[in-house]
Amino acid sequence: MSLKRINKELVDLGKDPPANCSAGPVGDDMFHWQATIMGPDDSPYAGGVFFLDIHFPADYPFKPPKVHFTTRIYHCNINSNGGICLDILKDQWSPALTISKVLLSICSLLTDPNPDDPLVPDIAQLLKTDKARHDSTAREWTSKYAM
Amino acid sequence: MASEDEYEYSDEGSDYPVSDDEEMDWSNSGENPNAAPMVLASSAGAKSGIRMMPAEDLMPEMKRRLKDVTEVLDIPTAAAAALLREHKWSKEGLLEVYYNDPEKLLKKCGVYFRCNPRPVRPTKGVRTCEICLDDHQGSNMRAMPCSHEFCCQCWNDFCANAVKEEGPSCVRATCPQAGCSEVVTEEEMRASLEKDSPQLYTRFCSFQLRSFVESSNFTRWCPGKGCEQIASAVSASAMEQDDNVAHCEACQLSFCLVCGEEPHAPSGCKELARWNEKCRNESETANWILANTKSCPKCVSRIEKNQGCNHMTCQRCKGEFCWICMGDWNDHGANTGGYYKCNKYDPNNGGPEDMSDAAKAKRELDRYLHYYKRFHAHAEAQKFAKKQLKETEARMVLLQESSDDARWSDVEFLKTANEQLVECRRVLKYTYVYAYYLTATDKQAMRKERFEHHQEMLERFTENLSELSEKPLAEMDRTDVVNQTRVVDRFMKNILKYVDLEEGMDDV
Repeated sequence: MSLKRINKELVDLGKDPPANCSAGPVGDDMFHWQATIMGPDDSPYAGGVFFLDIHFPADYPFKPPKVHFTTRIYHCNINSNGGICLDILKDQWSPALTISKVLLSICSLLTDPNPDDPLVPDIAQLLKTDKARHDSTAREWTSKYAM
Repeated sequence: MASEDEYEYSDEGSDYPVSDDEEMDWSNSGENPNAAPMVLASSAGAKSGIRMMPAEDLMPEMKRRLKDVTEVLDIPTAAAAALLREHKWSKEGLLEVYYNDPEKLLKKCGVYFRCNPRPVRPTKGVRTCEICLDDHQGSNMRAMPCSHEFCCQCWNDFCANAVKEEGPSCVRATCPQAGCSEVVTEEEMRASLEKDSPQLYTRFCSFQLRSFVESSNFTRWCPGKGCEQIASAVSASAMEQDDNVAHCEACQLSFCLVCGEEPHAPSGCKELARWNEKCRNESETANWILANTKSCPKCVSRIEKNQGCNHMTCQRCKGEFCWICMGDWNDHGANTGGYYKCNKYDPNNGGPEDMSDAAKAKRELDRYLHYYKRFHAHAEAQKFAKKQLKETEARMVLLQESSDDARWSDVEFLKTANEQLVECRRVLKYTYVYAYYLTATDKQAMRKERFEHHQEMLERFTENLSELSEKPLAEMDRTDVVNQTRVVDRFMKNILKYVDLEEGMDDV
């Protein structure tokens, strides 16, 4: 079941790729993928290319995939290990979601961070008090690590 | 359980010169003292309106409540189950919230579409299942009332996965569609699992019953490992009595119906919860102080306590001391003219009153440690006594074999004594929780003094019995042990009765 569904998702990604994202298996292991996200234009991450690591659990899609950034990013919902705080990757996961939808959600998280549910409180604090400084640091990190 | 004829010597009371203590109340003397612990537990249960039963026996009550709500609100049974589950299975509680804003409540509990189904899609035509991403005939698709449909195979996998992976919380699983909060109920589970994985469907049903037992406010699972019995209060008032003891015949465990802890009289449920919380917070300090070994106060060799009795004799110097206060044992017990002072906290022990905050904090910690040490010592002794209980049977066999004409009933006193010890240790343990929370008003001071007197008596005789019953078999004096068992049982009942009376006076 899992393998069949993962294959299907790969085919669908090829037929109808989501904007600014791409994804595919690393080598022969269909349960281990790599994905890229282009920093959205209307965000301080514009121009950057961010890599993500995806692991599918054996009972996918009944369990969510494990997704984390391998490129460093300055974002209040993404920590220094690349861990992402996103509800659909945890308790709000649904078997009707796909990697394509997950990547799109991550894209919108880059455009609209959620400082009220932060993974990195310091960054969230700065975003709330001094957005200009927050954005400039994010741009700095983007050009340093993602270009 | 412990019927009279199991304990033959109880009818031969005249053989045992129990010294009648005039101060003490012997009003229960008709009761078999040797059978005290078990009878106490089960008769107390009957008195306070608790019934023990296998969990399945609650099924009719669960169905009755379901039917009631189904009829009153005119909604599907599956919806009623989800609504009741979120309201502690109380019809009154549910209806009160329901009539405020029915639509809001139905949405919150995930049964809005169950009660207002969306139109069913035709069975003709080919559609894509959003889980396996395959195309299926409409006839192979199964929908929730929210109209989200998936193929039958994916439904089966989804339900099986929920039961297997989520355990008891699978009763709250929601529609597989992202963002849809409609609850997956018994209907979907039955359709998906009953035929292909009947054991998983049975498991789902038992989880549902489990959630009924756990969320309804008049039942409690027996805390025994793997025990499937439940205690059910006959009336709501039974759930409000402190330390209302239920006794499970299946696994021989007694527990408090209200809080699920071991019976904890004379301490109340709230006090016990506060105490446990405090012990968790202070545990590091206390653990550091209460390392498992102590030094002999005379020769300073390390001593590990491996029996329950607090009367210690150092193997090296033969010095005798009390494990609790580390004082000379000669100062303990009336026959030496000494005074058994181990149960009392003396705030002036630490020199003149110092009112600084640091000194106050230290005094408070000392006060806590005083009670905790004793609580802990009795808890450990209780564990020893329980462990000893397992070895007692073997000791009984040996004892019977050692004399030519001994019957089994002649050696049963050992077991009775041991069971009594476990009970006394348990009660003593909780007397220190009770005493810790007795505040220092004038009225309470009197009460505390009397309470400590009872506590001291129980403690002294429990130590006696502990010592007697741990003796080598050759030195075992049956008459002595039987007498001590009875006396100690009386002291135990006295302290519990005393607290009951005092608390009763507060209520008036």
